[in-house]
Amino acid sequence: MTSREQQVTEVFVEVAESLIADFDAIDFLQRLSVRCREILDAAAVGILLADENGLLHVLAASDEDTRLLEVFALQHDQGPCVECYRSGRARTHIDLTDEEVSVSWPEFAAVARDIGFVSTNALPLRLRGRVIGALGLFQTDPEPLAPADLVLAQALADVATIAILQQRTRAHTEAERDQLQYALNSRIVIEQAKGILAERWQLPVDEALSVLRGYARAHHRKLSELAREITEGTVDTARIRSAPVPPPPVSPPSPTTP
Amino acid sequence: MAEVVHLLRERPGVGGTVRRAAAALDVDGVAVSVAARTSGGEILWCSGDTSQRFEDLQRVLGEGPGPDCLADGTTVRVDDLARVRPERWPALAAEVPGQAVRAVFCFPLRIGAIALGVLTAVRRAPGGLTDEQSDDALALAAGLTTCLLERGDPALLPRDDSDPLPFLQHAEVHQATGMVSVQLAVPLAEALLRLRAHAYSSGRTLTDTARDIVARRLRLAPDTDPPPPAADKDRTP
Repeated sequence: MTSREQQVTEVFVEVAESLIADFDAIDFLQRLSVRCREILDAAAVGILLADENGLLHVLAASDEDTRLLEVFALQHDQGPCVECYRSGRARTHIDLTDEEVSVSWPEFAAVARDIGFVSTNALPLRLRGRVIGALGLFQTDPEPLAPADLVLAQALADVATIAILQQRTRAHTEAERDQLQYALNSRIVIEQAKGILAERWQLPVDEALSVLRGYARAHHRKLSELAREITEGTVDTARIRSAPVPPPPVSPPSPTTP
Repeated sequence: MAEVVHLLRERPGVGGTVRRAAAALDVDGVAVSVAARTSGGEILWCSGDTSQRFEDLQRVLGEGPGPDCLADGTTVRVDDLARVRPERWPALAAEVPGQAVRAVFCFPLRIGAIALGVLTAVRRAPGGLTDEQSDDALALAAGLTTCLLERGDPALLPRDDSDPLPFLQHAEVHQATGMVSVQLAVPLAEALLRLRAHAYSSGRTLTDTARDIVARRLRLAPDTDPPPPAADKDRTP
């Protein structure tokens, strides 16, 4: 098996294992973004969800770097992800150095180029004839994604949609609109918790999140629930800080041929 | 619905506006209850008797779709109260036969962990909301969330009606809210208001102010001497 096939298999196993368990949607989407970046050899991947006004919000990204989050956040009303969301069609191989791109989305193109991205792609999060958001993928090389890569990217975008709708809320809400709304609000809770921890621990916000995520994974806690408890003041944050840092999550071992 | 949200923002508390919202949603009543620290909630706006009675009932019983919505932060839809398992809300189940209300829809008024209240729409006949009505209700809930957050200081109301929650776009605003709540030892809701007040008084955007907080270039001072709202001469009326 080639390493590429191996990677895809691993993602498939990871996705299946998550979706049958009681998983945390935001944490899952973050890991999916990382996998997507690795498999497609991209520079950054982000997953955006539309609110009831049709504005896009970042739910998860492959790196929680503030500047990267901003380049996704800028696409709330401009950029390829917005066009993709509105049209329902993928926007691929957009050259960020192209003058026309700069004219159409001046702010977005400038920030993206500043980070070092040279091209971008946007794939729709599809749901039974509707589009609920977009997956944005940035590259630092001008080489377009191969057709097979785009098929894979779309499949990963569809997995993201499924994950958002599969999340189990405390009230076991079932309506799709409510699931989307809940996911958007969960992300805000995480941001608020990040701020609380960053201030208590005197760390940059991205580092505070890394510590929190590490703790949640090591203790099999849902990131969103833990974040909520932090905002409610019902969890001892000093214990989270002092907990030993776990090694990064490893992929499940590949099946051995008998 | 955009018009209704606009009206609510201009003149919150006007019953006619809430009745318009009820008509737009094709329901028999709409009520807005706010989170209260001591009791189960306080009715802020109400379109009429049907809603008022149901809100009162939930408050007296301390259970129902509204309290669940407030506590869990999820939308609670009950297409037919008569078909709900009695274990879910035992006390409410016992009251259902004598009630005019058959369908209830509760939408959380929230910004992340800041639970401000619940928008409740009720119907006398069983049946769910259409997708369009659901979207309208969500838009109304977003508009009401802004109103509630600004209650007590209307001078801070955003004037751009095209975007009901323009300040929610940037993650830094929520991160800064968390940081300020620790710095000033206040709840998140108050931290967000303090952040907005500072942005307003310094003539900068909320996002820029939040970025300075997150980058630790700015730290809000504890509110030792709050200016009386009415005596603030610098504000344009």
